[in-house]
Amino acid sequence: MLYFSGLSDALRLTFVQIMIFSAIAILIFLYGLIGNFQKWGAGVTGYGLEPQEGKKGSAITFLKTWWNQVTAESHHHGKPILEVLILDIIFQRRILKRSPFRWFMHIFIFGGWMTLFALSGMMFAVEMTEKIGIELPFTPAEFRDFLSIPNYIFGYILLIGVLIALVRRLFVSEVREASIMYDWVLIGVVFLVTISGFIADGIRTGFIWSFGLDPSAAPPAALFHSIISLLFCIAFIPYSKYIHVIAIPLALLANKGGE
Amino acid sequence: MAKRTPSIDTKNVTAVQLMELDSCVRCGECVKWCPTYAASGEKPGLAPRDKILRWRQYMNKSYGFKAKIFGPEEIPQSELEQFKDDVYGCTTCGVCATVCEAGINTVELWEALRTNLVKKGIGPYGKLGTIPKLIKQYHNAYMLDQKDRLAWVPTDVKIADKSDIVYFTGCTAGYKQLSLAFATSRVLNKLGIKFAMLGEEEWCCGSNPIRTGQIDYEDVAREAARHNVEAIQKKGAKKVLFACAGCFRAAKVDWPRLLGKELPFEVIHITQFLADLIKEDKIKWEKPINKTVTYHDPCHLGRHVGVFNAPRFVLSHIPGVKFVEMERSKEFQRCCGAGGGVKAGMPDLAVAIGEARVKDALETDADILSSACPFCKRNLSDGRDSLKADIVVEDVIELVAEALGLSTT
Repeated sequence: MLYFSGLSDALRLTFVQIMIFSAIAILIFLYGLIGNFQKWGAGVTGYGLEPQEGKKGSAITFLKTWWNQVTAESHHHGKPILEVLILDIIFQRRILKRSPFRWFMHIFIFGGWMTLFALSGMMFAVEMTEKIGIELPFTPAEFRDFLSIPNYIFGYILLIGVLIALVRRLFVSEVREASIMYDWVLIGVVFLVTISGFIADGIRTGFIWSFGLDPSAAPPAALFHSIISLLFCIAFIPYSKYIHVIAIPLALLANKGGE
Repeated sequence: MAKRTPSIDTKNVTAVQLMELDSCVRCGECVKWCPTYAASGEKPGLAPRDKILRWRQYMNKSYGFKAKIFGPEEIPQSELEQFKDDVYGCTTCGVCATVCEAGINTVELWEALRTNLVKKGIGPYGKLGTIPKLIKQYHNAYMLDQKDRLAWVPTDVKIADKSDIVYFTGCTAGYKQLSLAFATSRVLNKLGIKFAMLGEEEWCCGSNPIRTGQIDYEDVAREAARHNVEAIQKKGAKKVLFACAGCFRAAKVDWPRLLGKELPFEVIHITQFLADLIKEDKIKWEKPINKTVTYHDPCHLGRHVGVFNAPRFVLSHIPGVKFVEMERSKEFQRCCGAGGGVKAGMPDLAVAIGEARVKDALETDADILSSACPFCKRNLSDGRDSLKADIVVEDVIELVAEALGLSTT
């Protein structure tokens, strides 16, 4: 089965090859995630304790400590887990309470990003289903066409959010002056991945984002987008500010929605 | 070559707290609201966001991926000393936790980091290290005789030897701010509430060592909690009244944690107790207070344990009182500046924060700035005096006493 991206007709990137890249990205992600769990697991397991002599941090220690805190009673402000999941993690009401503008920006990035991720996952599932020989009422190509409109919609939602974030970080002096490389890398990478996706699609279709580039540049552009997406949207998470996409939901659950 | 050891360790910092460091997205909300950062002239190191960033960097240098491969990177002692100064320049008021978009429990984080630094021999800050020693020796931080715990009790106040209700005075009200103790005891008498007191069996609640990271110093805090609980039980108490927010927070949150079990009695703040009596129509006011009153939420009573409405309910039921809110109130209140060891360790910073809070009150045109904690009263009074502002600082219980026709002297 051919994957739609590739360096050239002669050197087309196959489905297998992109799967290998994906697997590598996932392995790098898992290695980093476990490394972070181990780093966090170097902490103590409860209030007022000390780590056991000679014992290294372990992912299990972290997960157990986290779960114990999730299930412990709180002093006065504990919220039910379901409420935290829906309102604090998905709807992000803590950001909304502080700044509706930043909430708008972040929910666009979050919503766009997560939906595109889910749509890619659905596309992957359809291709895998076909690969293992299960017949579906549509072909992967038809399904890809079906996804193109939601892909555009959520792509633009993401782009709007990213542009707001970038403009805010560049032109609001208070934000710019407080920014460090840790912040710039995150927004820069999100911007790069988003723009590269639009450009790759634009070159392929010849629409707005083609910038007059020859359609023959479509495969390498798509390849570039695919690889940096895997690299930055999966592999890079545990090693950068991206870790907040894992740590914040865990913190909100552990602290029952926070104060 | 011997492998380097990390410059920091993780004593007292929980696995979840280490994760919280990585959940900070540096949105800056905590910086906007932090009272010490503002009062310090926006000293960058005092910003909560900056402290989280630094400890995250220390963790990565000591336990991160690079450290795993190449060994831990040394953190200069001077840097850790500076970090200690900054982490102690915090009143642990908790507004940073309230506004944190990641839901980080910052109060517990600061306290854990302080304890960690104390165990490392870097903390505590300045003379704060003497306080647990004094508590161990004298059972109060004022070096006063335990026998004088009830020396303030006026002849008109009746205290039962045993009762269902115990009034836990606290060191500050019992030794230094006697008007609060006078007011509380007389109000209870006036309302026909039989209560007992611990007298010389009342020890410091342990709040200061806990808040300043000295929780493990010779087990002073745990010993104080254990002793006080036993003493209260001996009095036959089912309900313990606190007029000090710091003691109340310690009893409600810290004592059960230190002792590893729930308390065998209910702890209640005096304003909650009075609010219930008002609802039951058991308070007959005798004298109106025709003043405009605003209320400052003590951090230990409000944000830390969620008592926001009871003091307001009491104040708004005092005849004649026109109650007004400050712009920053309830969970978004600005700390008075006294907590977390700042009053004892960095008095100038404490007064600067107190001044800011008094300015908040002055904007409301209130005649009286009230609170429900002797420590807040002290620092707000210092802030008021420093500003030479024309506003009275009085505790809610003093206003209640006045409205019941009682003396607080």
